[in-house]
Amino acid sequence: MKRKGLLFYIKLYCKILSQDLKSKMSYRADFIISTIGMIFTNIAGFVSFWIMFRNFSSINGWGYHEMLFLYGFSLVSLTPAQCFFDNNWSLRNYVYTGDFIKYCFRPINLFFYYQSEVFDVKGLGQLAFGLGTVIYSWIKLGLGFTPLMVLKMTVFLLTASLVMIALQTAAAATCFWINNSFYVLDLAYKFRDYAKYPITIFSPVFRTIFTFIIPIAFISYYPSLVILRPDEVPLLSWLSPVFGIAFFYIAYRIWMFGALKYNGTGS
Amino acid sequence: MKLKKYISLTRAGILESLQFRLSMLVLCAGNLLYLIVIYFLWKAIYASSGQDSVNGMTFHDTLIYLVLATSLFNFMEMYTVWQMGRGIQSGSIVLELLKPMQYKTYMFWSYSGNFVVNFFTTFLPTFIVVCIVTKGAVPLGMNLLYFVIAVVMAVIINYNIDFFVGTICMYTESIWGINIMKQVIVLLLSGATIPIAFFPETIRRIVYYLPFQSIYNAPLTILLNGDPDIKDVAVTLGTQLIWVVVTMVISKLFWKISLPQITVNGG
Repeated sequence: MKRKGLLFYIKLYCKILSQDLKSKMSYRADFIISTIGMIFTNIAGFVSFWIMFRNFSSINGWGYHEMLFLYGFSLVSLTPAQCFFDNNWSLRNYVYTGDFIKYCFRPINLFFYYQSEVFDVKGLGQLAFGLGTVIYSWIKLGLGFTPLMVLKMTVFLLTASLVMIALQTAAAATCFWINNSFYVLDLAYKFRDYAKYPITIFSPVFRTIFTFIIPIAFISYYPSLVILRPDEVPLLSWLSPVFGIAFFYIAYRIWMFGALKYNGTGS
Repeated sequence: MKLKKYISLTRAGILESLQFRLSMLVLCAGNLLYLIVIYFLWKAIYASSGQDSVNGMTFHDTLIYLVLATSLFNFMEMYTVWQMGRGIQSGSIVLELLKPMQYKTYMFWSYSGNFVVNFFTTFLPTFIVVCIVTKGAVPLGMNLLYFVIAVVMAVIINYNIDFFVGTICMYTESIWGINIMKQVIVLLLSGATIPIAFFPETIRRIVYYLPFQSIYNAPLTILLNGDPDIKDVAVTLGTQLIWVVVTMVISKLFWKISLPQITVNGG
């Protein structure tokens, strides 16, 4: 099979995307309610954050606005997983019913084709919410503003987003081996709530676990240090793009391994 | 033999959920992980605040409260909204409506087996772990009895709210959005994410007039009070009882009004 270029895939993605949006628009009420639901989730997250800081002025040397920055950063970096990889949630059903086989017969990358089929619009609300939070805390902290910082921010955000994508993809892929993998995916989904806390609050053992095994520290903590505390950036922060890509690659391999050994249900 | 039909539904539920042993394991692991995150987070918060008790709650109180709130949540989560929503969308609800038992009663009892299983697999282990971690900060006395009564009523209130929300699905044909809204509101306003004691005064007063705090806050407050004043307990349980009746009547009425609305596309 001839390898297809990046341009081909981008064009294809746009085509599939527009189809998906059209079909979503035919369920308008569901779309609106889901979007409101997503906004609700974000507001509730913020309210609990606010209530916590009303009672305590700092956590482990992290002030209100610094924590807010971490929180906003995590929201933004979680958005791509929400928007582009939402089809992972249906994988279990496709595999179970045997419908997954239809994806196996296309002359394009299986993983790409499967994930491109659904674009979750309601993730955009989260993106806006997260960006607002980051910008607000950025101004309040007086971090300064240079093109280099924006570049750094973009690179680190993009690579940080790969971590959640990796976790979700790997969790979804478990359905190739076990039944009822919903709980695994749900567990991975809950990790996102833990990403907004500075990793320094944990004991060394769990710090290692949350860095290398369940890499939630790379979703927000390590990458945002580069902007937040530029004087004392640990090596792991600079390496976080590498880790993001590595985790994503591993998850992709696991997913593909499961998908390629899939042989349908015979119906 | 009126009771027999209920018991047989419970039995079927137990057998069904025992089929999914792996998912139970994952659920347990997820609980444990949450316990760890909460432990370190609040430990850091209390360490930074420099006080032993904030808003009348010590570190151990908060820990017990939050961890047990989560395991109560896992214990009580019945996915009613999903089941009803899917039943309405696919049309399979018709089969359940034909059963010689009221739909609402049937749904409750067919899920009751999971209560039994969840109690032994999630709640009890978490409870024991919490007792050990906090070195016996959970008072063991008459409050346990009151706690059990409060939990039973909490389950009923929670189910009624779920059933009410599930009925809304008949009109909207949206499940995810409706369910997430319900979940967010219930978790925040019931004090499951942050103890209600930490809420600002005005919000706290409003929250006490809502049914949600009867689900998590009421049983947990009773549990944490080792030397209960009989009057306080009576007020809490009485409030719960009122909400049991009110939510039951409302959800039943709403279901009755909505039932003619149901449109099943084939099936």
